[in-house]
Amino acid sequence: MSSDVAIACRNAGKAFQLYLHRNDQMMQALFGWAKTFYKEHWVLKDVSFEVKKGECVGIIGRNGAGKTTLLQILCGITRPSRGEVKIDGRVAPILALGAGFDGTLTGRENAIIAGAILGLTRKQIVAKLDAIAEFAEIGLFFDQPMKLYSSGMTARLAFAVCAHVDADILIVDEALSVGDEAFAKKCETFIAEFSKRGTILVVSHGLDYLKTLCDRVIWIDAGAVREIGDPDKVIPSYISTVRADEEDEVASDS
Amino acid sequence: MILTEPFERAWRHRELIRAVVRRELTSRFRDSFLGWVWAIFAPLAMLVAYTTIFSIAAPTVAKDTPIVDYAAASFCGLILFNIFAELAARAPTLLHEHVHFIKKSIFPGETIAWTSTIRAMVYGAISFATLIVVRLATVHYIHWTVLLTPIVVIPFMLLMLGTVWFLMALGAFTRDVSHLMVAVMPLAMFATPVFFSVSQLPPAFQPWLRLNLVGNYIEMLRDLVIYARFPDPLLYGVCFVASYAVFLFGYRFYNEYKTVIVDVI
Repeated sequence: MSSDVAIACRNAGKAFQLYLHRNDQMMQALFGWAKTFYKEHWVLKDVSFEVKKGECVGIIGRNGAGKTTLLQILCGITRPSRGEVKIDGRVAPILALGAGFDGTLTGRENAIIAGAILGLTRKQIVAKLDAIAEFAEIGLFFDQPMKLYSSGMTARLAFAVCAHVDADILIVDEALSVGDEAFAKKCETFIAEFSKRGTILVVSHGLDYLKTLCDRVIWIDAGAVREIGDPDKVIPSYISTVRADEEDEVASDS
Repeated sequence: MILTEPFERAWRHRELIRAVVRRELTSRFRDSFLGWVWAIFAPLAMLVAYTTIFSIAAPTVAKDTPIVDYAAASFCGLILFNIFAELAARAPTLLHEHVHFIKKSIFPGETIAWTSTIRAMVYGAISFATLIVVRLATVHYIHWTVLLTPIVVIPFMLLMLGTVWFLMALGAFTRDVSHLMVAVMPLAMFATPVFFSVSQLPPAFQPWLRLNLVGNYIEMLRDLVIYARFPDPLLYGVCFVASYAVFLFGYRFYNEYKTVIVDVI
């Protein structure tokens, strides 16, 4: 892999194991070497693409096309069933804002743990806590248990932590749909700033937003790459296909 | 290196383990007025109750030993057994509890075994400190061999880590494991020399109880703390190797299935 490539995805595929009976999962774990207890369901079939360093790439596709699974593979949460994925740099995934927070702990304590998950040492995080608190704009609530937070405050803090871990690659999954308008603006501004120095991969249904932000767009359809390229070309063809399919559905319904 | 890989991984994630252990320890008593006093009060009350009750009505297994020694020996047994019982009962649900971490962030799941084991060991250590203080108060001396307790605690901890990895991976696939452990743990107490010692059993049973590693560690801990005896080197060696094997097996088992676990949990 040449050094200017941040993400390289080669023939990546992911099969989930479908079990007819819940206990088959344990049978598979214990006796999987002798017999297969599941049916395979290929969510991602064959995905290949490269993202260069400093590039901002959007991913579009309909629900169930495999976008989230692709992001999970790229973040290292789950392994591809076949093919390979190479990442060069520290990844900050913004997948579900605030999913891992503990309500009994204060925002400060949760920020420390969230930073440790992303690979920062305690010293590094502590040095950034003030900046995180300022970015999140939650004021004195920073030292209150998070069970007292509103969902918007939780999301703001989660985003603030991700924004301060000095990542090389930002992987964003529609996280920006939470929070109020002002916060969404702030996130968009941050991402636009970040795209000047780092690599971004973003999944969104906000097609206009992607058009302004991204250098390239990848259209995932039924677990495979349908088109890659200039947002001004891929997005219109995506929209027209979706429309044509909707019309077909309407026609077949009536 | 296959023998040291689990330690290298843990060292890499030491900051995370430290942060989570801190959280687990501080959040437990956070909203209580007396806080950490509770961590000391529970084992102390237990130990005082044992000593009192056994001195009123000593069980026949205690007939050869002074009551304070018998109470202390039972308490030694309970410390280790409770760590084991708590971890074994909780391990199968650990991954379910951390599902958001595992599915939504880049969280190294194997650290959960470290944090929950360390947490249980800390509470065990508080009970142990209580025991030492009570020993000083009742018999007015403590053998220097108590300083050797780490040689028992370290292999015991490896055994616990391996068990937790194995059970938490298995528990991710089916909830039955969790119900099974809850049902089996009280029974396991009878197969462990908590309120008796192996030497008090009929000779025919003794070799079978030696198969219980937790029981062996309990007896070794008693030897060091109460009777000022060294553990039998052969028995200790066998236990150490067996515990290390469980440790490595548990780690391998968890890693073998960790990517599948993300998909099924």
